[in-house]
Amino acid sequence: MVAFEIFALTADWMAAKWLLWIALYLIFGLFLPWAMTSAWTSQHRSPMKPDLKQLFQNGELGLISLMLSISVIWDLQRSQYSSYTIALGSVFMALAGMMAGSVWIEAYCRRTTGIRFRPDRAWRDSRNLALLVFSLALVTEILLDRFAKAAL
Amino acid sequence: MRLADPAATLAYLSLLFGFLLVLFPVSFPRLIVENWQNARLTPIMILFTVSVNLGLYLSVAHHRSARPGIAAAACLGSVPVFVLAGLNFVLQATIVHTFSSSVPNASLRVDEEILAHTYFSMIAAIFAPFLIIRLTQQFKKTDA
Repeated sequence: MVAFEIFALTADWMAAKWLLWIALYLIFGLFLPWAMTSAWTSQHRSPMKPDLKQLFQNGELGLISLMLSISVIWDLQRSQYSSYTIALGSVFMALAGMMAGSVWIEAYCRRTTGIRFRPDRAWRDSRNLALLVFSLALVTEILLDRFAKAAL
Repeated sequence: MRLADPAATLAYLSLLFGFLLVLFPVSFPRLIVENWQNARLTPIMILFTVSVNLGLYLSVAHHRSARPGIAAAACLGSVPVFVLAGLNFVLQATIVHTFSSSVPNASLRVDEEILAHTYFSMIAAIFAPFLIIRLTQQFKKTDA
């Protein structure tokens, strides 16, 4: 039984498709902005030490999450799942994406209008909601990968 | 109550589902499908989601030093039941639709549909009550 599980886990290299998908989002969504900030501070000999919290303190992770949810909704729409499943998945991805995006919008509105803005709260809310969107997106991509193989 | 409060726990649950799916690609889906065929899946999920919701709500209330309200507790107890029961009807319609459309590998497709529905239903049943509580708070704030 264990051998069969291991075989099923490793037999098809297509299973690594969603791993590549995560890597792309982590590299371009989180690592690249941080690396570019580090490069800039090093080039300008700035004493600033960039960290993710400072970089995304205005709730930008919420905006990234919204983009991520759009890409998963698009993948769901192109899948061969039944229309009910596609609708269900799309609605929840859209809801989670909008909630995450609203953190960035709220932070922007508060900063622009001068109403009390707390960067620590914006960071915490956007980080938690980004983690939610990311995990939803990850599992949805795994499910899509499995369904694509079952539908062959 | 902010939506970010339950979001982290929900994300960890979702990741756990993903890890189980990756580590046990055969036995975990089969466990879900067998429980669905024996009509045990929906009651188990209702029990699980209501417990998670109440635990989350109490921990957030404790963290914010707020007194848990009866209306919110009722919402957390009832909404998952309605959501899961409603989505179970949707899943049955999906299965009938898949078998009637005479697609190849219909049985495998149905198993995958059950798996996807179970996942989305779990997320919906945990997230929906908090979303309703949050929106109600927002409307109250606007009215005041």
